[in-house]
Amino acid sequence: MVPALTLAKNTAANPTARLGFVYVPNGIIMDRWTPISEGAGFAFSPIMQALEPFRDRLLVLSGLAQVNGRALGDGAGDHARAGATWLTGVHPKKTEGANIQAGISADQIAARELGKTTQLGSLEIGLESPTLAGDCDSGYSCAYTNTISWRSPTTPNPMEVNPRAVFERLFGDGDSTDPASRLASLNEQRSILDYVAADVNRLKGGLAASDRSKLTEYLEAIRDIERRIQKAEEQNATMQLPVMERPSSIPEEFDDHARLMMDLIVIAYQTDMTRVVSCMIAREGSNRSYRSIGVADGHHSVTHHQNDPEKIEKTAKINHLHTQTFAYLLDKMRSIPDGDGTLLDHSIILYGSSISDGNAHTHDNLPLVLAGGGCGQIKGNRHIRFAKETPMNNLLLTMLSKAGLHPSSKLGDSNGFLEDISEV
Amino acid sequence: MRRVLAAAFVVTLGVVGGFAQSPKSITSSSKSKSAFAPRSVVNKYCVACHSESLKTAGVVLEDLDFSKVASNAELLERVLRKVRTGEMPPAGMPRPDAALAKTFTNWVISALGRNAAAHPNPGRAAIRRLNRAEYSNAVRDLLALDIHPGDLLPVDDSGYGFDNVGSVLSVSPTLLERYLSVSRLISRLAIGDPSTKVVEEDFVPAEARRVGGARKQRNEPGADDLPFDSSGGLAFSYYFPLDAEYTLRVKLGGGQVGNDPRPRYEIRVPVKAGLRTVGVTYLRESAKAELEAPWLINPLTPPAPIPSLPAEMDVRLDGVRLKRFEVPHTGNLPPQVTDVLVAGPYNPTGRGKTASRARVFICRPSSAQYEESCARKILARLSRRAFRRAVTNADIQPLLTFYQAGRREGDFDHGIEKALRAILVSPDFLFRIERDPAGAIPGTVYRVSDMELASRLSFFLWSSIPDERLLTLAERGRLHLHEVLNQQVRRMLDDRRSQAFVSNFAGQWLYLRNLALAKPDPDVFPEFDEALRQSFLKETNLFFESVLRKDRSVLDLLGANYTYLNQRLAEHYGIPNIYGPQFRRVTFTDPNRGGLLGQGSILTVTSYPNRTSVVQRGKWILEALLGTPPPPPPPDIPALKSKNAEGKLLTIRGQMEQHRSNTVCASCHARMDPLGFALENYDGVGKWRASEAGTAIDPSGQLPDGTQFVGPAGLRQALLNGHRDEYLQTVTSKLLTYALGRGLEYYDRPAVRAIVRKAARDNYRLSSLITAVVSSAPFQMRSTPENVSHQEIVATSHVSTQPRDRNSSSAARRDGARAHASQKHGG
Repeated sequence: MVPALTLAKNTAANPTARLGFVYVPNGIIMDRWTPISEGAGFAFSPIMQALEPFRDRLLVLSGLAQVNGRALGDGAGDHARAGATWLTGVHPKKTEGANIQAGISADQIAARELGKTTQLGSLEIGLESPTLAGDCDSGYSCAYTNTISWRSPTTPNPMEVNPRAVFERLFGDGDSTDPASRLASLNEQRSILDYVAADVNRLKGGLAASDRSKLTEYLEAIRDIERRIQKAEEQNATMQLPVMERPSSIPEEFDDHARLMMDLIVIAYQTDMTRVVSCMIAREGSNRSYRSIGVADGHHSVTHHQNDPEKIEKTAKINHLHTQTFAYLLDKMRSIPDGDGTLLDHSIILYGSSISDGNAHTHDNLPLVLAGGGCGQIKGNRHIRFAKETPMNNLLLTMLSKAGLHPSSKLGDSNGFLEDISEV
Repeated sequence: MRRVLAAAFVVTLGVVGGFAQSPKSITSSSKSKSAFAPRSVVNKYCVACHSESLKTAGVVLEDLDFSKVASNAELLERVLRKVRTGEMPPAGMPRPDAALAKTFTNWVISALGRNAAAHPNPGRAAIRRLNRAEYSNAVRDLLALDIHPGDLLPVDDSGYGFDNVGSVLSVSPTLLERYLSVSRLISRLAIGDPSTKVVEEDFVPAEARRVGGARKQRNEPGADDLPFDSSGGLAFSYYFPLDAEYTLRVKLGGGQVGNDPRPRYEIRVPVKAGLRTVGVTYLRESAKAELEAPWLINPLTPPAPIPSLPAEMDVRLDGVRLKRFEVPHTGNLPPQVTDVLVAGPYNPTGRGKTASRARVFICRPSSAQYEESCARKILARLSRRAFRRAVTNADIQPLLTFYQAGRREGDFDHGIEKALRAILVSPDFLFRIERDPAGAIPGTVYRVSDMELASRLSFFLWSSIPDERLLTLAERGRLHLHEVLNQQVRRMLDDRRSQAFVSNFAGQWLYLRNLALAKPDPDVFPEFDEALRQSFLKETNLFFESVLRKDRSVLDLLGANYTYLNQRLAEHYGIPNIYGPQFRRVTFTDPNRGGLLGQGSILTVTSYPNRTSVVQRGKWILEALLGTPPPPPPPDIPALKSKNAEGKLLTIRGQMEQHRSNTVCASCHARMDPLGFALENYDGVGKWRASEAGTAIDPSGQLPDGTQFVGPAGLRQALLNGHRDEYLQTVTSKLLTYALGRGLEYYDRPAVRAIVRKAARDNYRLSSLITAVVSSAPFQMRSTPENVSHQEIVATSHVSTQPRDRNSSSAARRDGARAHASQKHGG
């Protein structure tokens, strides 16, 4: 069920928050993640150390669950179900390809509303290319592990890994960024889209319903871009030019790639090109190695550590590196002035995984951190432990609400809001 | 007319699938089989568990009616698979002897085959958008522009092991944005845009981009496109957008930072527009061997001080030397090329005479009054190729509008450029749409039109749009004719474009594409570098291509005693007397190296970055070769014990044996591990080793069926002798999945078996398998979506044919097809 939403006005007195969803795969070494004490002034655990500078803009949330990530009769495939459930709370259909189905994701629900005033509804960023051959997870289509963002229950959004492509999505691919040539380019795009839309409608005639749906997806994409063009025209004169050079290719080193992509996320927020970003630090089930921190083994293979201390150590190192990447993002956001505060003050960014213990593939007591001031609506510096099996979707619903959206019904398996995160 | 169509359809059935049998064989087989009652076997061995009351695994065989094959086909396929693989009856229960099991499975196979012939169900692939490879190839073939624009699109998801599966190829705003952007790039390059601004592009050798770039430099060419007598450097393709001047600038490693006084290695040259190869390389000193710096060839010779004469560095364009620079240096080898920057166009003089312009401009208007008719001609031709069908005025008119708008703001060519851009974003180009016959009721089975068949063929074998020849044959309604079709398949396989079949089909089937992502640990495998990675890939591609084009059997993929090697790879494999960077066919004397299982590509993609994985290799064999992938491990696996009960340290083999003593683990590891252990003599990058960490490797193993074998050669024989049928079924299933762009269903199994049977006549040549796939029912036919029950179809079965309104193909509902089939059987 998709909640009905109404958008609060974005005014100086009541600024609209930016939303972010940053995902890490394969779970986290939980006893090195979860702070021992609860409440305010908790002690940061080793893996979370890099986040300490943001203590007052940070909530550690324990005890939440994505129970639809569990097998529920579908057998193996916890990684696929983890990726598919994180922002949907919907048990995905087990299929290698025919009729993939999960649920609309929280970022996309937000994008539908927050995107009304920005050029891009949302931005999807990945730091690892999809696998190129072989199966992804136990009879599940690779779509489930490659993305966390679902535009509709049947349409996954691809995560863009190429910084150049992200840059061009944000600022266009023209030779020139001067307003007049941008406008000409937008006009040309509009006329092409008119032609394409007419053609799609012509083609749809006489097709079976199942075939029409693919073309309908194309039509929706056309509408989305038409809307964007309109926004771009309205904002063309006042458009801030990016303070960044057009990136060339995908940097080979994780750190270089990650920083470049985080920079792009910050620029997207800063220029108000979009207010919704989802990001996968790596694909779910990723078996990437991280030689720069001395982990030559694949990530997924060390998470199945079977209590081997060496593998646990390596997993923790990767967890730590990922948290540092997130800290880099937060640091950047804190450095950007925004209205009466900083970008971080006016953001709500979720970081975490849909698996807690990667060795056992558990989907409860998930590792989650909520960063950002939420425009004064979120009170940081606390570790909150929720009752076991509390749906993580309650958090997603609450995030949407704090972002000024008013979801009027449930989202996935949610059964309420988490008012504890405010306490103001 | 209707009779003619019906007859054509009967002929088709005889051709497709090859499962229609002659009347005589039907009669005789039904007589000889009449003595055999499958029911008795099932009663004796199955119904104890699969009874109405127990319903073990949800399967009830107690009242399965063997005379109603059509309505029980799905269940029978399941029974067949379980009995054939020996999974059922389970170990410990009474089992039929091999002969009886064989009689039973043969009965089921022929019953299902007859049913499929009588009621073909070709299924229905979803509407499919082009994937990245197809997009690149389509642009290349449409515009003679080979610049791989698909690489600029988001990566496609895959399903059933392939990225051409329609149902997972989704469409998002991001993708459409990229289409818009890339179409602009393509149309400007294809036509030439005089307003193109100066840009600088940076090209970096693959080696320099990789982690741990501190590999040894080798005194050999840096790329295939460089001369034999060169060393290091790089070569790349660059599309020069206009006739103009361009600068080529080389950056060298070794601290060229800040205000380094080092001279700039830069030239400015006038270049004609088009795709050209830029190369930068050092001249190799003839005294130095290819392997290393000379003192490393013979370790007894101490390193001789080499006078640091300036190295000679050539900048080349399409193989021609543009300039030779003298590069002073102090080391033994000159500084590595880290970047080549191309900037331009400066002072453009024109659009030039490019292959793309020659392809597009089939006419030139002699004066303004002929412009529009020429534009119409150009756009009609382009859109026919791009849309893969006959085009009408309704298609051309909107494109002309784009032309006119472009013409108003620029010249004639500019107008064509604008219209071309629209073609490239049109859903007719981007989507493969097949249409049901007008008014067909649900469940109708029909032959696809010849035009649709042309696309099915070209996307299967070329991953691209049909060429003029296929379109013309399709337009004349001749393509589906048996002889014509086989000729075309042959022609297509001989065409260079079929390389796409190797890179896309074999690349995904065998996981070769993952080689690009493999990151062997340089501390453990210091010999692995970009040159080796490229050589691995080239070896397997050449090997697969040789099987494809030289009409070899798919059994040779496993069993061949030859491969393709260059010096680098030969050294890696320990094979002497192969010199030079060019690849050549090499016959092995060592039975261990040979076939896919001895190739570095496969051995590397099935290893961890720092060690081999018997489990991954075993799993790869089960999944890719035998089609029986093990289920993934359950969570929370008990730790491997590094010591045994007496406290003695265990080898990996010992640890895995201990692991298999747990029955849950054993059910899969007993299948995977012995296969993987047989390959343990190959390390994580495919190099032969006799021992690991001081312990001799024990490459012996035993299959669950008791077959014993030793090492790669033994494993290969065990697979080819004992598991040939599984392998053939698997290759065929993968081929059919790739050809259809959808997952296979139970109703496709008879077609898979029929294809294997047909190819058996030619000793399972890959080309025969492909031809049999092309002539199979699922490849040639399609059914309309089924949304009425079987009973309803039967109830209306008196309507036997529905001629299609297009081409000369016919349509028939499923029971109509049966009527035709029996007509044929009746004489």
